[in-house]
Amino acid sequence: MVAFVARRFLYVVPVLLAVSLLTFLIASLLPGDLAYVILGDQATPEKVAALRHDMGLDQPIWWRYLSWLGHVLQGDLGRSFRTGQTVLQAVSERIPVSLELMLMAEFIGLLIGIPLAIACAARAGGAFDRFMTGGAFAMLSMPSFLLAILLIYLFAVELRWLPATGYVPFTEEPLANLRFFVLPALTLALAEWPGIMRVLRSDMIATLQEDYIALAKAKGLKPSRILFVHALKPSSLTLVTVTGINIGRLLGGTLIVESIFALPGIGRLLVGAIYTRDLVILQGVVLLVACGFVIVNFIVDMLYAVLDPRIRHGHA
Amino acid sequence: MTNIAAAARKRAPIFLVAAFALLPLANPAQAQKPGGSITVGLELDVPGFDPLKVGVYDAAVLTPAAAIFDTLTYLDDKGEAQPKLALSWTHSDDFKTWTFKLRPGVKFHDGTPFNAEAYKANFDRQKDPANKCRCAFYIAAVNNVQAPDELTVVYNLNDPSVNYPTLVSYPNQNAAVHSPTAWKTRGDDYNRNPVGTGPYVLKSWTAGDRMVLEKNPDYWDKDKVYLDRIILKPLPDAQSRFASLQSGEADIVWDDEYDADNIQKAQKDPKLTVHSYTGSGTQPYAFNTKTPPFDDVRVRQALVMAIDRKKMSQAITNGLAKPASNPYGDGSWVKCKDDGALPFDVAKAKALIQAYGKPVEFKTVVTATPRGRIVGQVLQQFWKNVGASMELDQVDQATIPPRAFMRQFQLIPWRIVDLADPDPQMFANFHTGSPVALANYSNPELDKLLEHARVTAEVDKRIEDYCAATRLINKEAIWFWTFQNTYYAISSANLKGLPKMYSGMIDVSRVWKE
Repeated sequence: MVAFVARRFLYVVPVLLAVSLLTFLIASLLPGDLAYVILGDQATPEKVAALRHDMGLDQPIWWRYLSWLGHVLQGDLGRSFRTGQTVLQAVSERIPVSLELMLMAEFIGLLIGIPLAIACAARAGGAFDRFMTGGAFAMLSMPSFLLAILLIYLFAVELRWLPATGYVPFTEEPLANLRFFVLPALTLALAEWPGIMRVLRSDMIATLQEDYIALAKAKGLKPSRILFVHALKPSSLTLVTVTGINIGRLLGGTLIVESIFALPGIGRLLVGAIYTRDLVILQGVVLLVACGFVIVNFIVDMLYAVLDPRIRHGHA
Repeated sequence: MTNIAAAARKRAPIFLVAAFALLPLANPAQAQKPGGSITVGLELDVPGFDPLKVGVYDAAVLTPAAAIFDTLTYLDDKGEAQPKLALSWTHSDDFKTWTFKLRPGVKFHDGTPFNAEAYKANFDRQKDPANKCRCAFYIAAVNNVQAPDELTVVYNLNDPSVNYPTLVSYPNQNAAVHSPTAWKTRGDDYNRNPVGTGPYVLKSWTAGDRMVLEKNPDYWDKDKVYLDRIILKPLPDAQSRFASLQSGEADIVWDDEYDADNIQKAQKDPKLTVHSYTGSGTQPYAFNTKTPPFDDVRVRQALVMAIDRKKMSQAITNGLAKPASNPYGDGSWVKCKDDGALPFDVAKAKALIQAYGKPVEFKTVVTATPRGRIVGQVLQQFWKNVGASMELDQVDQATIPPRAFMRQFQLIPWRIVDLADPDPQMFANFHTGSPVALANYSNPELDKLLEHARVTAEVDKRIEDYCAATRLINKEAIWFWTFQNTYYAISSANLKGLPKMYSGMIDVSRVWKE
């Protein structure tokens, strides 16, 4: 097991290096020199040249990358030129919001997706199954910005059940905090559950055709016990992968959803950094998010090993 | 049906003007109710308040700055400077020295006394070359500030300015007065912990989320401050910002004419009030008159005459944007009987292009945003109608100023912002030799008018100068103007007392709820 973990971990290092290089290149290749952005309507050629020199922007790109990487490895991801905040400060203030949003969205997605998948798999090809598969497809094709506005108009403007925008920290007012998260988490979850349902459904259908299920049936076990105990765990391997990959998708979703619902999370931070060309924040946040994604996938790999002993022992 | 809608739109500005009659100072008969709190929805995150850190205050910073800070003066409903931290002022005969007498007994929120020395410290900190503050650019015309005694501040200007008190009237990066003790003790953290003398004190601020301001119990003018608490939130998405207003989570929200649908919806909703203010200035374009085909005045005139501003406004803002025919705008005290604007005349424009004889092909710089593209495409269409072919040169917003400074353009958009006096921008944009005299055009007559206007105190004579200047600019068609600067806010109908949104600032520091 230790060897397995160490081996997997070795893969992570080059991935993270590649991510840092890509992040840096993308941020550097964006149109609009940082010196122009900072100087705004005072960007005379002399001032631009002086500022570029001060900031080291006149150095070759590989040198800038190495010096940035050097700072990053020492834990210094830089400071925003707009607010003077460091990347770590900005991220640590906002990460709880995005984590809460993603966890709630994933939870709601699983809450909708798993029971529906089991129900569909139990009578595969039945009327309910066909209806849900179609419904899932329709749901998948609904963009989240549209869904968000529809939910806001229904629940905030018309019914007035839930707030349209805003946030309070969980530590201050837990109930109000949850109320603020319902609509944004639902928006993300409504795009999540179809994927969850379809993956689990097809795996369950395959599992239900295995010999040991036939044996269980022959033994006279209750259908519910067969579904939930004997079939669910072996069918959940792909589900775990999908849930892990979904974290990445959800991170993407927060860009839109946090902006619409005015949640002060990582997504908003990124969008703001893009609009204001705050490249230091942009670069730093993308790197941290990518690291987070890589780590989640690393954990997912570990979970496989727990779920399936064959992987753990290297027989897969 | 469309006629009725069009008529309603035409009449809308009258209602908006009526909304402004309810100003606290102009109408003391109104019952102003103290207490309560409001939530303000802004568009952008507030980056902070330290001029050394943020450089320039954008519209989102101005709203909290107006509550936390005071300035020497403020602009009344007529656009004239009135006493705030300064009680009175005098000037030298050449308008290069302005002396302000300060209000005694004022304290910053941290207890530091406000006096001439504190004021001078603010100025010196911004001006100090070692601090490399971007804010220094905007006080380049001020040579120094002196504090001869406790309550006297003297501005020594490099160039004459006949209206200087109006230029320190709103809390931008230069005019907001900060507590020197606070920035010295807070250091890097001062940016997010601002301390002023204003009617509200910053209580808490969650990054990217709410900023809570509470009434300053020791404020020198506290009888005219009504709300106990102001909450400011960035609501970046236009649709959900408007939804928050409809659902009552926000009491007033920032808006602009590109969100015309919601503004027009709000105009029909009795529960909402649309506040708008058309300021001075305009959204202009500059021709580079040193490059063909714009070295020929006929081409420039033809292109200007080809623009149907009403149709353009309809296309991009549902008709909300107000056409501009001069650089001053409705909000300016410069009113011209004749501004010499070229008429919209397709036939004449075609004739001028034909007279020029050569094909008219050129590039226009536009921002690579949906707005920039739409405006560019509409212009492209107008110019195609008269036989000129224009190509869009899409660039990032940030690269427009350097392109302008280096004159790397044929036609470029610029801006003339809402300022209480036309001199700073007119002189910079049109006087020979200025770095932003973008047209590369020199005319001794125009220079003389601008030089005369800046040292003349009589308003009538200045208006004559400025109107003569715009007639010349319009005739020579070195710049042209598309729309005026109109600023919008939408509030619930029970919010009262919002002053004119000078420079686009939504100042909620003296509003009340009915």
